[in-house]
Amino acid sequence: MNVDLFARFPSLLLAWRNLWRHRVRTVLAMAGIVIGVVAIAAIGMTGTALEYGVTQDLGGLANEVTVFPGEDNEDDGFTEMQIQQIRRIATGATVVPVKSDRLEVSTRAGEIDTNVEAMARPSALYTASEGEIPDPLRSGAVVSSTLAGELDIEVNDAVTVGDRTYRVRAIYEVQGFTFGPGTVVLPESALREEPFGSIEIRTESGEASEALAGEIEAQFNVREEIVQTSTPGDIQEAIGGVFQTLRTALIGIGSISLLVAAVSILNVMLMSTIERRGEIGLLRAVGIRRIEVLRMIIAEALVLGVIGGLLGTVFSMVIGIGINASMFGDATLVLRWESLQFVLMGLAFAIIASGVSGLYPAWKAANDPPVEALRG
Amino acid sequence: MSVVSLEGVGKRYPSGEGYIDALVDIDFAVEPGEMVTVIGPSGSGKSTMLNLIGLLDTPTTGTVRHRGTDVSDFTEDQLTAERRSGIGFVFQAFHLLPMLSAVENVEVPALFANRPGRRERAIDLLERVGLGDRLDHRPSQLSGGQRQRVAIARALINEPHIVLADEPTGNLDRETGRTILEELTTIKEEQEVSIVAVTHDEMLMEYDDRSVELVDGRIQP
Repeated sequence: MNVDLFARFPSLLLAWRNLWRHRVRTVLAMAGIVIGVVAIAAIGMTGTALEYGVTQDLGGLANEVTVFPGEDNEDDGFTEMQIQQIRRIATGATVVPVKSDRLEVSTRAGEIDTNVEAMARPSALYTASEGEIPDPLRSGAVVSSTLAGELDIEVNDAVTVGDRTYRVRAIYEVQGFTFGPGTVVLPESALREEPFGSIEIRTESGEASEALAGEIEAQFNVREEIVQTSTPGDIQEAIGGVFQTLRTALIGIGSISLLVAAVSILNVMLMSTIERRGEIGLLRAVGIRRIEVLRMIIAEALVLGVIGGLLGTVFSMVIGIGINASMFGDATLVLRWESLQFVLMGLAFAIIASGVSGLYPAWKAANDPPVEALRG
Repeated sequence: MSVVSLEGVGKRYPSGEGYIDALVDIDFAVEPGEMVTVIGPSGSGKSTMLNLIGLLDTPTTGTVRHRGTDVSDFTEDQLTAERRSGIGFVFQAFHLLPMLSAVENVEVPALFANRPGRRERAIDLLERVGLGDRLDHRPSQLSGGQRQRVAIARALINEPHIVLADEPTGNLDRETGRTILEELTTIKEEQEVSIVAVTHDEMLMEYDDRSVELVDGRIQP
């Protein structure tokens, strides 16, 4: 260590020498701090990475609004008039009324019970990975890539849905989280009997979809709940909330390990000041003031906290880089504030906890009468 | 003006249900450049007296003066400051800090004063007590006599007006003890510093200017 620094901060010199004297003890006390910091930072960063992954998956859906019948909607669907009204509210956006049912879908390869939607303009909602989705869709079917895989479907193959057969015009790629084999999309005329069970709207942006959802609800639900709207924002918010709660709980657990480390520093400092009682008495006798003794011992505890904390920070960053690289193939995501804040939180907590742990032993040592301390 | 004076000083300790008078009505003064030994059997109050002179303890009755100033109303920090600037200590058990080198040990009392030339003065003092080639040795690498000489150098680092020595030869063999006493005498003359040494070693009296005998907490006439 730099000699000039010690000449300026003699407490640091003495603290450093004392820690060096009991290297094993020092290293063990630091190890506690390192573990504490890593616990907090790694848990926080993992949570952040998971949340990032989930919201990334949802990100593509940001400009969507789905309108469902509300609790007081007697038809359990939308009338032509209501759809017109929604079209008027959603000027500039693409409005696609959807009928849906659950039907058996079969090919030569097999059969599956799955969700069937009927709509005029599926091209607004789905992106074809094979073939082309006609706009509007007047005949034929569009199937999900999952279903295509399971039933061995290719473009231009025939599929039987219910009791009618359709030619597959396109296959679309499934995005984000889905359940089941995916949807078969048919022309609106295919489910003639069904009401429009939902209305899909595509807007310019996420903000526009939030605003639109609010406006639709405001116009329809004056006294009764005729419509319900759902936007990805709602889902993201809910997911964010869940992660927040989860992370707080886990970091609480992580903090406990740092608390344990702080107690072990308290113990080490207390032990070492009792051992050095004579030395501290000597310092006081030759004119070292109480505040200077206090500073020296708090400096010892802080050196433990700072070095342990920094080591913990390094390990945490390595872990964070590993997590982000393996989950998203991008290690630099660890530098996002959402992730970095936990490392800094761990470091700050380590330094504060060790400083506080040094207070009592320091106070005790500084106030020991030198005569008695020297006597042993 | 006396360097230090005790005027009617008494020290009483609680003991069991009663108390013990460690010192009774002590009148004592040390003049500049004088070496005084305080002798007496163990338990006679020698160390208590040295602690009072050294401002490590406060008297129950009477007045302690340092360079004419009554220190009765000094706060703990004022006492500490006075110890730092005016008093050097030499102990029987040396009391060197094991993790510091010889020269760093000498610097300890000046460590927080941050005075320029501290290191140079520490080296100079160690050279003067014959340890110029042991500057970077740890106490564990030094003999008893060498350790006590480091302690003497440490006592002088802040240019005190008085050095207090508690059984300075107590842990040393006779010959080494003698060299230490010669060292103290030289220092007394070179640095014009007063010395009060507490001992039951008769040899010290060969080197002192005068001696005071304590028995049962009283100075013998």
